[in-house]
Amino acid sequence: MVERQVAAKPEDSPTAGEKAPTEEAGAAGHGAEPRGKRTESGEATYLIAIAEALWEEMERDDRVFLLGEDIGVYGGAFKVTEGFIERFGPERVMDTPIAEETIVGTAVGAAMEGMRPVAEFQYADFMTSGFDELVTVTGKYHYRSGVPLPVVFRGPSGGGVRASNFHSNNPEPFFAHTPGLKVICPAFPTDAKGLLKAAIRDDNPVVYLEHKWIYRRIREQVPTDPDFLTPIGKADVKRDGDDVTLVAYGAMVLKALDAAQELEEAGISVEVVDLRTVWPLDTEAILASVAKTSRAAVLYESHKAFGIGAEVSAIIAEDGFDLLDAPIVRLAPPNVPVPFSPTLEDAYIPQVENIVDAITRLAKW
Amino acid sequence: MATKAKEEQVQVGPHPDLRASREQIDRLELTEKDLLEILYHLKFCRYFDERMETLYRQGKLPGAIYSGRGQEGTHVGVAFALLQEDSLFPTHRDLSAQLVKGLNLNRVMAQYWGRIDGYTRGRDGNSHIGDWFGAKTFTVISHLPIAYPVACGAALAYKRRHEAKVAMAICGDGATSNGRWHESLNMSAVFKLPVVWVVNNNLWAYSTPNQIEFPVGSIADRAGAYSMPGIRVDAQDVLDVYEAAHEAVERARSGGGPSLIECVSLRWRGHAGHDPAKYVPKEMLDEYMTFKDPEKRFLALMLALGEIDESGVRAMDERIKTEFDEGYEYAQRSPLPAPEDVTRGLWTDDGYWEGSPTREGDGG
Repeated sequence: MVERQVAAKPEDSPTAGEKAPTEEAGAAGHGAEPRGKRTESGEATYLIAIAEALWEEMERDDRVFLLGEDIGVYGGAFKVTEGFIERFGPERVMDTPIAEETIVGTAVGAAMEGMRPVAEFQYADFMTSGFDELVTVTGKYHYRSGVPLPVVFRGPSGGGVRASNFHSNNPEPFFAHTPGLKVICPAFPTDAKGLLKAAIRDDNPVVYLEHKWIYRRIREQVPTDPDFLTPIGKADVKRDGDDVTLVAYGAMVLKALDAAQELEEAGISVEVVDLRTVWPLDTEAILASVAKTSRAAVLYESHKAFGIGAEVSAIIAEDGFDLLDAPIVRLAPPNVPVPFSPTLEDAYIPQVENIVDAITRLAKW
Repeated sequence: MATKAKEEQVQVGPHPDLRASREQIDRLELTEKDLLEILYHLKFCRYFDERMETLYRQGKLPGAIYSGRGQEGTHVGVAFALLQEDSLFPTHRDLSAQLVKGLNLNRVMAQYWGRIDGYTRGRDGNSHIGDWFGAKTFTVISHLPIAYPVACGAALAYKRRHEAKVAMAICGDGATSNGRWHESLNMSAVFKLPVVWVVNNNLWAYSTPNQIEFPVGSIADRAGAYSMPGIRVDAQDVLDVYEAAHEAVERARSGGGPSLIECVSLRWRGHAGHDPAKYVPKEMLDEYMTFKDPEKRFLALMLALGEIDESGVRAMDERIKTEFDEGYEYAQRSPLPAPEDVTRGLWTDDGYWEGSPTREGDGG
């Protein structure tokens, strides 16, 4: 597992503009590549890793271009594309009208013509405003026509930043349920970079959900090889353990690791499986871990009913029933909208103590 | 031939002004071959539509049919203005526009019967057809105007690559009420994209008339809100439609940006094969079928101008019947898709769409 460093700031406000330590020292915002925003020791945040992936793929392939709202001169609501317009120009870093259906359709049409667009949604919540073009055109098109659609749809997802109902959602189940879309939800800077580069090079449409709670929260040494790719559809064991398998993705992986640390002190060994890609699902990796531990819990931030963990649980029950010594446990938010007030949001999103309690009960079952 | 044209006058409405029509043909630089091709497509469209409806009513055609009858002037006129390398984003009702663009009739027929040789290999039916790598047409999706945003993207690619190509998208009058219609016109105007927006205003969106769909007198007037030229054309005259489309296509091709064309006709049949369309007043239907028939009108003009004679018309009709019959037979012989292929071809990496389709079944 990679070393990670938790930033001191407890909350990550999208508008706070928290700067990486060396940002002032570099030429950030003036067409300088994002790698210049790493720390002196060469560590990159999740946000910088994503920016590096975009930058490197744009340098590598002229067909790659970005489109979205406020991504050019402003550099994006979270500043992922800060400095890009100076380097690549407004044609490849295209500010668009606020028209999500047409942003999706425009990306798809350009992809049909052989370009490789990366469309940014300012928040993943706004993907519902482009839903029909994503689901009805994009997902079904290759199956019906044989025409490849090499297009990536990025959006910051997830809660924990006090952004309430319309800036905190996890739309991944919508898209995982839709045939023809790959869905990626990375948890670490290295995976975020390698998976985004792989998504841009993939000939299939990819929904890439970057968790905003992680953006500036953790840093790690991230590969600089321009051809570093992380395979889509492969999970990764982020912590080895023997007693319980804990399957998670996105920000919940970080919570799972914190819980696993506490549980180890209590004598319970937890294996944390980071899905990284939620569709196609790496069923092999999930079942291999359950075969080892005989106990399975699924931790996810989409709503509990019909969420990603519902499918993971079903797969374990269907294909791994004989492996289990205890019923599967699901840890996920209730099926209500993401609330604003800190007490409510913290009650909504599974917290480390909830995970510790649930895994303790599961280990003793 | 002039005498003949006068006889036709009763059926086709106002007597075609032969001199004006000849001037229009010369101005548009349409050759004799072009004119006969337009006539062929108008006649084929009509014949195909009638035969398919008969097969549907006989229970010999599965799925659905969406008649384009009465609107052939729109479908043929706009598509004829495109070059092969231009892209067309059509609807379920304007199959004839795709045929003008170069679809293979046998594969069209195979599509209707869900066969492996259909354009979608049985993954979709009826006129939900497209041929991106050949005729350069988008595979039709029902949710109009769902292809409008996609046309923006194709046009964007042409502009960025400095290619002199044009994207044309078609939708119906009802689709202009949808947000994407406005988003797309707006996007295309902001970026001055080489795109032509066509609205087939056939006066009814399923059962909903124009006055419940929009408050403006003319859809073309809406172009002003997006700073683009808008024109309303009476689609009983295929040459008028062609002229408007040609002008818009060439404006887009030369960097002049998008245009909107509203082509007005009447949908003679229901929304789909099951719909008797009783909501259309009979007198109105009679008027359109008697006086505003785009096929008969153009045929009368061609006869009057001496571009074709009666024996030429008979030969053309015979050719159309033969092609239809051959297409029908081809479809019945084409195998059904292999059931084990149901999950293939979703992703690009399983090779399903690269090779020839798996052939199984005896073709019914």
